[in-house]
Amino acid sequence: MQVGLSTKNAPSVWVVVPHFLIGTVSFLVASLFVVFNYQDLLGYHISGSVLSIIHLMILGWVSMIIFGALYQLIPVVMQVKLYSEKLAYLTLGGLVLGLFFLIAAFLGYKFQLTNNFIVGGSLVIFAITLFAFNTLKSALSSDEKSISKLYIMASGIYLLLTVLIGLFTVINLSYNLLPVAHTEFMKTHAVIGLVGWFLMLVIGVAAKLMPMFLIVHRTREELLKWGFYLINVGLLTILSVTFIKQVPEFVDVIAFILILAGLVLFLLFNYDVFSHRMRRKLDIGMKLSAIGLIMFALTTLSFIGTYFGNSVFGFPVGRIEIISGLLLIYGFFTGLILGQTYKTLPFIIWLFYYQKLVGKQKVPLVADLYSDKLATIHMYSFVASIALFITGLVFSIEIVLLFAAVAMVFTSMVYGVNVYKMIFHKKIIE
Amino acid sequence: MIQKNITEEEAKVYEVLKQVPDPEVAVNIVDLGLIYKVLKNDEAKTLDVDVTLSTPGCPVGDTIIQHIQTVLENTYPEYAVLVDLVWEPAWNPDMISDDGRAELNA
Repeated sequence: MQVGLSTKNAPSVWVVVPHFLIGTVSFLVASLFVVFNYQDLLGYHISGSVLSIIHLMILGWVSMIIFGALYQLIPVVMQVKLYSEKLAYLTLGGLVLGLFFLIAAFLGYKFQLTNNFIVGGSLVIFAITLFAFNTLKSALSSDEKSISKLYIMASGIYLLLTVLIGLFTVINLSYNLLPVAHTEFMKTHAVIGLVGWFLMLVIGVAAKLMPMFLIVHRTREELLKWGFYLINVGLLTILSVTFIKQVPEFVDVIAFILILAGLVLFLLFNYDVFSHRMRRKLDIGMKLSAIGLIMFALTTLSFIGTYFGNSVFGFPVGRIEIISGLLLIYGFFTGLILGQTYKTLPFIIWLFYYQKLVGKQKVPLVADLYSDKLATIHMYSFVASIALFITGLVFSIEIVLLFAAVAMVFTSMVYGVNVYKMIFHKKIIE
Repeated sequence: MIQKNITEEEAKVYEVLKQVPDPEVAVNIVDLGLIYKVLKNDEAKTLDVDVTLSTPGCPVGDTIIQHIQTVLENTYPEYAVLVDLVWEPAWNPDMISDDGRAELNA
């Protein structure tokens, strides 16, 4: 009778919740690191502390929450159970332990490969491979044919490719199998990881969730289909030319334009969804998500800036790259995660406590599990922090960067209080 | 509401079902247009309800179905309640009533 219901496919609350808890702590610790190392953002070389911040943000915050949220969203998007919850626990353990060793390695970073790097890197690779396997196995068992599933499956494949390129870079450094500069491999590793893995996954999930939460029936799915082709052709071109010596520079530029065009189509898809929404009044989760998407539009502009900023405005390329990275990780990913937390975490907690009580007694609404006021406060502090970061970086003002970093610590703390309220919710019985 | 020619008794069932909210949007399932059919058979003492969901992957789908079952069993204890989840016709936002639209944006 109840074909297609996802509640029965929902993972255990114990699989999802630890990801949000650890992710929130990583966000807070990374933000504190920025307060103590904010001057490094104006530097021209990457310090150990900056690498610690980047890895805490990418692995401890963004990946951690994405892993947890995707375990919850696979039944919604693909209408199947997660392939293995045991693998999910193993992935979590590997990621946390690996991150611990990596951060220790970066804090003592002296441009040398230490044991901490080897242990940490191996554990992270192990965790990521398990996650990609778990996601792809779940997707393959689903009969659902949708653009969301296509993007999510592709992102799983790119995640494996990211890991393989990272591994090959390390091996090539030691054995010189291919006469290509390791910086080229690192660039490809970063692009495949950020665009192929993170952005493809975000697009896939957003394609399903944005229309669902905003109540939009007819979406312009063709934009996402074209986006899929453009991004993939761009990524595969970048991947291929990495292994070929002396490729004309315009090939790279064309690949970059194709990816950018695909990302613009994703933005247009979202603009269309927001314009045609039945639910005109946005809740806090969707307001933060919309801010995240605006940050993504700014990120796209700043990516273009890395090509033309220097020749047109005489602005240092390194600084524009830092602004792009900050807008992408702190602006887009963080904004979207802050927002989507309120659309995922309270559901699984609510189902855990109240699913069996509905109809039998008065139960709270999902939105009653968190403080709307606190979420609104961290929305403003988040926007203020990003605005201050950009101002400080554009005009090279250290004190503004310090204020920006403090505002982000405040954001992570207030967000943390709300996450705590949801995870340690006390059942309301009347 | 897509069901035509409903009896006065069935209209009352629709009113009872307004007690069931979608936990995410906090609007009742009748005004959201999720109830496609209510058949109340006083001779056979059966109550058949066809319900749909806004999307096949709806995370609170069976919570809603369980809520419908409980509310109807409590209100009509002498009736056998059968709730069927249907996907045809596919739900779309045009099925939301004017009251539902107002509530969504309240």
